[in-house]
Amino acid sequence: MSDATATEPTGGHTKDLSRARDMILCEDVSKWYGDFQALDKVSATIKEQEVVVVLGPSGGGKSTWIRCINRLEIHQEGRIIVDDVELTNDLRNIEQVRSEVGMVFQQFNLFPHLKVIDNVSLAPIWVRKKPRAEAEEQAMALLERVGIPEQAHKYPGQLSGGQQQRVAIARALAMEPKIMLFDEVTSALDPEMVKEVLDIMKALALSGMTMMVVTHEMGFAKEVADRIMFMEEGQIVEVGTPTHFFENPTEDRTKLFLSQIL
Amino acid sequence: MTAPTTQQRVSHRVPLWRDVIVIKWVTQVFLLVVVLSAMLFLASQAGDNLRARNINTEFDFLHEPVMIQISEGIDTHPDTGARALWSAMVNTLRISGAGIIFATLLGVVVGLARLSDNWLVRRIASMWVEGFRNIPLLVQMIFFFSALTALPRVGLGSGPVNGWLHISNKGISMPRVFIADGFYQWAVVVLIGAVAAHYVRRHRQRIQDETGASTSPILWALATVALFGLVGLFVHPVFSWLGPVFGSIADLFDSLPNTAPQVLFSAVAIGVATIWIRRFLSAHRSARGHLSLSDDDWFRMIFVALASLAVVLLVVRWSGLSAWALNSSRDLSEVLETKFEVDGAARPFDAMRPDIIQKSRFPNYGKNGLTMSIGFASVFFAVVFYTSAFIGENVRGGILAVPKGQTEAAKAVGLKRGQVLRHVVLPQAIRVIMPPTGNQYLNLLKNTSLAIAVGYSDMVQVGTTVFNQTGMTLPVVAIWMLFYLSCSLTISVFVNWFNVRMRLVER
Repeated sequence: MSDATATEPTGGHTKDLSRARDMILCEDVSKWYGDFQALDKVSATIKEQEVVVVLGPSGGGKSTWIRCINRLEIHQEGRIIVDDVELTNDLRNIEQVRSEVGMVFQQFNLFPHLKVIDNVSLAPIWVRKKPRAEAEEQAMALLERVGIPEQAHKYPGQLSGGQQQRVAIARALAMEPKIMLFDEVTSALDPEMVKEVLDIMKALALSGMTMMVVTHEMGFAKEVADRIMFMEEGQIVEVGTPTHFFENPTEDRTKLFLSQIL
Repeated sequence: MTAPTTQQRVSHRVPLWRDVIVIKWVTQVFLLVVVLSAMLFLASQAGDNLRARNINTEFDFLHEPVMIQISEGIDTHPDTGARALWSAMVNTLRISGAGIIFATLLGVVVGLARLSDNWLVRRIASMWVEGFRNIPLLVQMIFFFSALTALPRVGLGSGPVNGWLHISNKGISMPRVFIADGFYQWAVVVLIGAVAAHYVRRHRQRIQDETGASTSPILWALATVALFGLVGLFVHPVFSWLGPVFGSIADLFDSLPNTAPQVLFSAVAIGVATIWIRRFLSAHRSARGHLSLSDDDWFRMIFVALASLAVVLLVVRWSGLSAWALNSSRDLSEVLETKFEVDGAARPFDAMRPDIIQKSRFPNYGKNGLTMSIGFASVFFAVVFYTSAFIGENVRGGILAVPKGQTEAAKAVGLKRGQVLRHVVLPQAIRVIMPPTGNQYLNLLKNTSLAIAVGYSDMVQVGTTVFNQTGMTLPVVAIWMLFYLSCSLTISVFVNWFNVRMRLVER
């Protein structure tokens, strides 16, 4: 298993992450579903402003791991520290981490009973206690940023899949998170809508957001990732820059995976 | 000749028997004629048969004296059949209303308990549900009745808290708070308070929206009403001038001719229909003014127009209705006149402790306390427990019907557990819970008719006695049907209105 620290920047990325502080720190994280071990001593460090793409076959533990970062799943062994706060059974820590970590889901999970603008401004109003007018102004700015301000007063059910996923990104950004988690966000989209979502994610990466992305979009991984982690059977098999990962991977399992998808 | 081109086939006239629009109209009209003539035929046949067998179907018996003792309620010794049925109706409405409120509260608790993380709470809740919904309601009612009649007898000066709370085989009697002479003046003060509370709430909400500070607008509104209510206890006589006002309104109703309500009702019927049709048309008009109406839309508009004409016809032909409306309005104003013209020192509320009186040989509860009879208690507990089991299942199902992703997304943006429930889960669950729960309300209302088994004087029990004494079976049954139907329809209308209002918007 490769050392999980920041590596040399790749061609398109001239970020110097060697001095950046650790945003996500995982130490020997393990999790079981009954007898099935979903995570097997996963250790990794993700630096501030770093974009990490997690690749791997289905059922390899990618989603379980990313969902442990904001404790939608509870890890059973090891430690997870997010922005210097350790995830334990302490409700206060969990709530603090969740308010600093944004997450976007495969199935969008927008609130169908609220208008788009209310979906985006709900958490700022109730968690950050912002004045409604200010929260709505911010929501409109975010909808502008994801390119759908004209849909603000519609309900999620009236939007296309790509539009819904963009609202979901705006909703996560409304909490002004330090970290964004993307869990297979383009897998439920029609092919022509994938690009509009990926473009927003690219722009977000360029703006310096710390991102952890589980995806099957190899093009996105090559272009945007600072590091790629390859996961299989609950373990991180290989870590490296996109150049290293796609051009001369060291592990046999990585080679096999790449030969199957490329 | 060549084969017909596409153009020729399109412009070819459709024969009538293949034209879907013609078929639709003809079947609708045909069905309407069949249904109407069948109803007319049956009615005339029934009328002929009843006349031939000399069965009376008039409602005159309602004004004749009857010998009925009603177990409890507004009038325990009614002098006429109408009064007896009226009193029984109030009893049915009382037990249904109380039953619906308590069954809902208990049902929500049971439903949430079945989803609890606590093993014991979950087990108890599922035993509650399985127990109460699988035993017939009548059996439960009789069980409660026999259990409650096994309580000790009433003794003079007895009770767990003597003079305050009495529990015996005659029921439970407790202190009663009731409205007194000054109540109506006080109610005006509270009404003004409610209006003030509306503005207070809006004001607090605006502050909350502008600054983000938590200003609890609803709490403030409630406090405003409470404050007005409290102050009203001392200042309510200032509204005694409303008495003469209602007096002159009564005089006005007295002087109006019978045609006034006829004109008013007709105008309202035609006005409502016109507004409805205009709104309907504008709702179906596109932005460029193009009107697209389906056949069903035409049926609807014609139906509304015909219904309003029918109302006008009814009002004009049946002048008794207008006279009744005028008289009732005058009577109501006169009642309000006397209610407001009371002595300035009259209190809005009064309270009395339960009393026990020596009636013939045995002691019994007097009229001072609030008494829940054994009959009422048996019916009440049975319908509340029985219905709570079903409502509990609706609540549980509704909450489980909200996808897990919704809770996860709400947690992921940092909402606390209570906020997740309030802003995300409950608003979606209520849409699933409400329609079947409305059906449970209807069931509860209809199930109270089993009260006949335990001697609680509800609509069915008293109605049975009335037709046994007068022989007027058909009119009483007609009154029953009309009563239960109108109650059920009222509940249905409310539930449907709620469903439409809460419907999720999709494309």
